[in-house]
Amino acid sequence: MKQAKLAMHTSRMELSLRVNGEMCEWTIAPGDLLLDILRREGYYGVKRGCETGDCGACTVLLDGRPVNSCMMFAAQANRRELVTIEGVAHGAGLAPVQQSLVERGAIQCGFCTPGVVLNAQALLATHPSATEEQVRNALSGNLCRCTGYRKPVEAILAVAQQHERRQAGSLQNGFAVVGHNVSKLDAAKLVTGRSAFTDDIHVPGLLYAKILESPHAHARIQRIDASKAKMVPGVHAVLTYKDVPRVPHTTAGQAWPEPSPYDTYLLDSKVRFVGDRVAAVAAESREIAEEALRRIVVEYEVLPAVLDMEHARDQAVTVIHDEPDSTGIHDACHNVAATIHKQLGNVEDGFRESDLVLEREYRTQRVQHCSLEPHVTITWLDPDDRLVIRSSTQIPFHVRRQVAMILQIPLQRVHVIKPRLGGGFGGKQEMLLEDICAALTLATRRPVKIEYTRREEFFMARSRHPQVLRMKMGFRKDGTLLASQMAVLASTGAYGSHSMTVQGNTGSKVLPLYRAPHMKFDCDVVYTNTPVAGAFRGYGCPQGFFAQESLMDEAAERLGMDPIELRRKNLIRLGDTDELSAQLGEGRKGLPRLIRSCGIEQCLERGAVAIGWEQKREVRPDPARHLRRGVGVSCSMQGSGIAGIDWASALIKLNEDGSYQVLVGAADVGGGADTVLSQIAAETLGVTLDKINICSGDTDLTPFDVGAYASSTTIISGGAVKKAADKVRSSLLEVASRILKVPAEKLDCCDNHIVAADGAAWPLAEIARQVTYKEKVQIMESASHSTNDSPPPFCATFAEVEVDTETGKVRVLHLVTAVDAGVAIHPWLAEGQVEGAVAQGLGYALVEEMQLDDKGRMINPRFLDYKIFCAKDMPDITTILVETEEPLGPYGAKSIGEVAINGPAPAIANAIFQAIGIRFRRLPIRSEDVWRALREKEAGEPAGLYSAVASD
Amino acid sequence: MFDHIRAFYQPRAVNEAIRLLHQPGVQACPVVGGSDLVLRAGRSVTDLVDITRLGLDYIRRSGQSVRIGTTTPLAELEHSPHVQHLAGGILAKAAACCGTIQRRNVATIGGDLVHASPAADTNTPLLGLDAKVVLQGLRSRRQVPLAEFFRGLHETLANGSLLTEIVIPPCKPHTAWSFQRFGRTEMDIAVVNVAAGLQLDRRGRCTWIRIALGALAPRPMRALKAEAVLADCILNQTRLERAADTAAQEIHSITDMRASGEYRTELSRVLLRRALEECTQHLECAL
Repeated sequence: MKQAKLAMHTSRMELSLRVNGEMCEWTIAPGDLLLDILRREGYYGVKRGCETGDCGACTVLLDGRPVNSCMMFAAQANRRELVTIEGVAHGAGLAPVQQSLVERGAIQCGFCTPGVVLNAQALLATHPSATEEQVRNALSGNLCRCTGYRKPVEAILAVAQQHERRQAGSLQNGFAVVGHNVSKLDAAKLVTGRSAFTDDIHVPGLLYAKILESPHAHARIQRIDASKAKMVPGVHAVLTYKDVPRVPHTTAGQAWPEPSPYDTYLLDSKVRFVGDRVAAVAAESREIAEEALRRIVVEYEVLPAVLDMEHARDQAVTVIHDEPDSTGIHDACHNVAATIHKQLGNVEDGFRESDLVLEREYRTQRVQHCSLEPHVTITWLDPDDRLVIRSSTQIPFHVRRQVAMILQIPLQRVHVIKPRLGGGFGGKQEMLLEDICAALTLATRRPVKIEYTRREEFFMARSRHPQVLRMKMGFRKDGTLLASQMAVLASTGAYGSHSMTVQGNTGSKVLPLYRAPHMKFDCDVVYTNTPVAGAFRGYGCPQGFFAQESLMDEAAERLGMDPIELRRKNLIRLGDTDELSAQLGEGRKGLPRLIRSCGIEQCLERGAVAIGWEQKREVRPDPARHLRRGVGVSCSMQGSGIAGIDWASALIKLNEDGSYQVLVGAADVGGGADTVLSQIAAETLGVTLDKINICSGDTDLTPFDVGAYASSTTIISGGAVKKAADKVRSSLLEVASRILKVPAEKLDCCDNHIVAADGAAWPLAEIARQVTYKEKVQIMESASHSTNDSPPPFCATFAEVEVDTETGKVRVLHLVTAVDAGVAIHPWLAEGQVEGAVAQGLGYALVEEMQLDDKGRMINPRFLDYKIFCAKDMPDITTILVETEEPLGPYGAKSIGEVAINGPAPAIANAIFQAIGIRFRRLPIRSEDVWRALREKEAGEPAGLYSAVASD
Repeated sequence: MFDHIRAFYQPRAVNEAIRLLHQPGVQACPVVGGSDLVLRAGRSVTDLVDITRLGLDYIRRSGQSVRIGTTTPLAELEHSPHVQHLAGGILAKAAACCGTIQRRNVATIGGDLVHASPAADTNTPLLGLDAKVVLQGLRSRRQVPLAEFFRGLHETLANGSLLTEIVIPPCKPHTAWSFQRFGRTEMDIAVVNVAAGLQLDRRGRCTWIRIALGALAPRPMRALKAEAVLADCILNQTRLERAADTAAQEIHSITDMRASGEYRTELSRVLLRRALEECTQHLECAL
């Protein structure tokens, strides 16, 4: 029996295979998955992204062919040849694909990158001159949520077509580092799959935690018995609400005092959505933890659930937050978490004076961030018994404060470390797993890891607030906007994290895009027994702009004006003050926004040329009988940090070799903040980028920063770096002046030298050594930075679509995004931000939706069922950076991270209208909805409430 | 996740595999590629029998038939000249739609048949091609037409025996084929898929027809009434549309998170009409 060699009737067996050219003999269990074994053996470049074979993050080459290691038993690889990302580069040299990805700015968070590299390697091995279609096909099994795929595809194509190496930094802008497309600092590490992320470490004695999730949308725990679970061998702790302190808090990662209600508890005797925490277990393995969960006995008193936000405020409906100790809830009895009512002027006057008044209702759906790296946290006690939290978070400093408060331990006993992040998008602007993980570490005194599965990530993490928006605008015949009014009803789900502020943004960042003497914004944010909403790229704006930009388009049609013309006539412009922002602060009085830089006109102009607006707005012959084409436009803006609230600091010190340590609290979430901040430091300090060593997002080592959110990092953290670098430069020149006996004002730092006005130059390394050993001075400065304004980046989005009128399928052919983000510190990274946002915006417009059943259970918590765009779904995308100079930003920069997500949905809806004459007012615009609306239109049936043209 | 699995076998002979699958007192499950099993293996499964090393990974012509080993990865079907030249390449085309490249390198034609997902893209053309499957038991070996093999959602006749081979009988001469599918995105599993093949005589009369529809019902199905509309008729646009309408009437489409039954039915009508149009165009039959 030859086969018997492998089969042993015990739970262990030997596996022998060749990995990256080396023979390996491993002992495994017969049911072990290949992914788990590879990570156990230290191949951390093999990523865990979904465990259902849908995302491709765990790709390895098996006998030269890409396969998902999460979908194979390890034993299947017996006596076969495996290549992981660790085996692609030889020595220090990168493979051509890796080199190209690095050089062409194709790497953002880097979590999907190993899979991308391996698939590209496999493709190029068989098709050395692959075409774009082949490249997109090869990458279609590697989901990426950061890049929008354009740069990775181009980088691989460049190898296939043997393009010249792209020369970085060819820009002539008067700067030595800023504005140049340097290689992202962490790119080489990420492209080779070296340990970089939270889970990429071996922690001896690590326990695995799992959360028992509520099967009910709303229930009280009558009885909970964990005794049987505790008896499972290998279980070290089971926590229920009886075992932990009851401290009301918000999970929202916001500056203290948070403008979100304190309505959440580490564990509670009541559960408020399907997936809410019931209990938590820490055990020797994930399997044992899962077994323990099955043995926790819970008796629930099932309560009526509120799933429909439109009924949440009704009198007879159940109260979701009836606990007495929650605070900051606007009206708990009616399930209203927050409410906003603001008015400038008097909209009724405006509507009376208007020649055209339009009022429409829009609906947006619940969507999830889908960062490829799910939430993951590892906690342990260091030798001094301090609590260490290694976590995939955008907000290390807020996490430190929140966990200390929730677990009632001194803040100084908590140390938060943020490694590389595999995508955040706002989903990690949330203290989500750190508290429960830390509680288990305190209970067991052991290191504990908790990691959401993709399924859990979908409904146990956070999502975008679904909204019902009623938008009303009044215009004069000539197109002058007189009044605009928006009334929003939003669901925050079971807890009020970011409830008021996200919805505040829906008004404050959307309405002021167009000047109107009268503006009104009303909003109720209600609790429902559904998955919790939170921060998500765009932060309330995608919903608002979908409504406003759709209505603007309809108004243009009714006024007989070109949609661009109508917008141009009313857009906010340089020198304007946005007073609505002053009314809508984050839980306090806000600050007016003065527009000091504004490139929206150029965005419209250049975007229109790129899409071919003039020609394509004309009625054109259709390419086939059932295909119709149209183009549409939308405008949007965002902010750059939260005015008067966000702040950051930086500390910079000179090393004896003339290099610098830059310590910032800022949290690079994958977009390249570390690189951009280093560029600002290098530019200011007159050194090349390789002289900068940056350390970020560690609460013990780095100074404070509120975190990576609200598009604040470049402008706020960058501002702090710029200030600190300016101070270091002055200090250095002063000391250098003593050494060189040249007046400080005649010295400068330039190109790694100290240079004198007469042209004399001394290597900085020389001076630094003297500073250290002769002058005995540590050149070191810190600075803090905040602003009382939030300069908006502007964006014009153009979409060309093709509608199949028989199936309802909408194909986006071309999507153009023109963005004014001030001066781009790193243009490729800026483009990457735009393109990633566009890919998310496309999904938001057409396919993404968390679907809940009538019990509040999510029915599509998997990438097979919840679709995000893959490389093959993407249209041709064009990104245009329109440069303006923002006086408040470092080197003229504004933000870029969010604004571009606002545009696709309304631009696509408007393009669909041009194609088939139907207005869609509900997202996503699914093929089935389009088909249904077309059928209704053909039958002459009265238009559906949200699909077809509504009456005035 | 699979800590309850107590043994993993890699037999080298079919008989050995079958014996391992029938050991008393164990709940054994064949590993035919992996992907679906990893997602669906229940906690009652104790033994795994990897059948991918039995030499059942082949695509052969035997006479006019094509025989495909059960553990042939979908990626092999996609690129095999035999399969590309078979029936206008519809099976190769369908195989290329079965999920990501990583999946197609592992998932096998037999695995997808045994898994019997109604949306599996290769199953629909196989049904249209009158494929038969070879089922081997401890003491028996039989050929079963695919139409009889599928019993319901994830239910087949394979119960207990090992599906070892797929036999595709010779195609009628002068036939044209089409495979159409609809998904919400490029990487979606099919909302509807359609395989159609037809043969015309010199006068443009339909002398032979196959229509198979997938992802609509718990199992892939032939649209027999629609076939009857076309059989022995001179084909023109009206007739094709009538066949598509008939198919839409004879199916009862399921509703799920991807699409409503009503929409599926309409998609099947549109896709079938397009498939029939493609077939007739291939036959250069000017309508």
